[in-house]
Amino acid sequence: MKHARIEHLGQAIDVTVNDSGDLVTATGEIIEQRNAKWLSPVANPGTIFALGLNYADHASELAFAPPTEPLVFLKGNNTLTGHQTPSYRPDDIDFMHYECELVAVIGKEARNVKREDALAYVHGFTICNDYAIRDFLENYYRPNLRVKSRDSLCPIGPWLVETNDIKDLSKLKIQTHVNGELTQEGSTSDMIFDVPFLIEYLSSFMTLKPGDLIATGTPKGLKDIQPGDVVRCSIESIGTLENPVLSEHDFYAQR
Amino acid sequence: MNTILQGKVVCVALNDQQQIDTMKGLFEQAPYQALPTEPVLYFKPHNTWNQGNSPISWPESSDDRLVVGASLALIIDKRCCRVNQHEALNYVKELAILHDFSLPEQSYYRPDIKGKCIDQSATLSESAPLSALGALDKLAISTSVNGIEKSNFKLSQTVRSAQQLIEKISHIMTLEKGDIIAFAFAGERIDVAPNDHVKSVVGSTLQLENLVAGDK
Repeated sequence: MKHARIEHLGQAIDVTVNDSGDLVTATGEIIEQRNAKWLSPVANPGTIFALGLNYADHASELAFAPPTEPLVFLKGNNTLTGHQTPSYRPDDIDFMHYECELVAVIGKEARNVKREDALAYVHGFTICNDYAIRDFLENYYRPNLRVKSRDSLCPIGPWLVETNDIKDLSKLKIQTHVNGELTQEGSTSDMIFDVPFLIEYLSSFMTLKPGDLIATGTPKGLKDIQPGDVVRCSIESIGTLENPVLSEHDFYAQR
Repeated sequence: MNTILQGKVVCVALNDQQQIDTMKGLFEQAPYQALPTEPVLYFKPHNTWNQGNSPISWPESSDDRLVVGASLALIIDKRCCRVNQHEALNYVKELAILHDFSLPEQSYYRPDIKGKCIDQSATLSESAPLSALGALDKLAISTSVNGIEKSNFKLSQTVRSAQQLIEKISHIMTLEKGDIIAFAFAGERIDVAPNDHVKSVVGSTLQLENLVAGDK
């Protein structure tokens, strides 16, 4: 089952997405996609965890040795924006890149959970694009909030897919297209720390709560993104998350 | 009744000029290579929010040390997006004291999730209006453990003022009503032990007390 949240006639509503792509409300009303604005599929996102250097090919692309312990950072919920809503490129920078990532959405409180049991604590999975502004990297709490916690720079969605509906989490194809051109390709099989491991790791020193998100890192294939670009992140069995990129000026002018 | 933590809790590290001066030699070497040019920020996520001001549990992940930092906390009063420092305080009506219990920091190079995300490790005092506190840079935060003063941090000693930080942070992320910026921690955090009583005050206007739970 695919669960989404949309804005329709000025109201945020929970819907499911049927096989023909229509949106179905709790009372069975059908809404066409073109009459809805996509919201983040998680109504009250809690802590947003993201992984750095969690694919070996990406780590070497950035000239880092793969980590021996997960490199986890946190993001503010100001970063989230729905499918087909805009992100922005800050003015006066040289390098902003997308990061297509599998996101686990926590479904129930988890503390000291073993990896064998971990998926029982996951409500489902979605996709995010965890943009980074490399110009703003500094060697303090790297990757720092100025790089990773900016308004709208983490599109998420379009929907959440329940765990049971995903055949094999460890073999999902990941692709990013920029303006239709394939620029990133990988597989979750190359993840260094997988979702069950991450839940065991995080829950060993803190409580995970429903609505917490774990963005699991991105494979190789970075490319600079400019205003006007349309970036499409796809993960097999989940879907495709597409977002336009505006200039900083245009983005804040229309907010 | 203490002020309720909600939304984003943004803490500013390395905002003590004396600490920067002391650590300058270290920060010019690898892995840092240079002093920070922008505020050094971290979040206290929602599992850390100690709403009932209950005793701080000794974290399982700690070998033998737990430390506390006390800061003045700015409580954002309305949506604050890309504001100028000269208008920054228009977005703050109330202030409080925030305690951040954490593991001692060995390094500032990577985000310190294990050290900062301990369950129930962030507490907030009752708030007071900005107008009751006067000029922020004249204030000091005094922290005592079991009645003995361990730290007295003057806000004149911060690298960046509240106003400058609101400008900087609101250009990274839109702040919402109820979000918090804790910006005035002394560089040196204070060691605590089981059964310790921690109390911080700002003059006679703000005060926050916490107990560290009894068993390791």
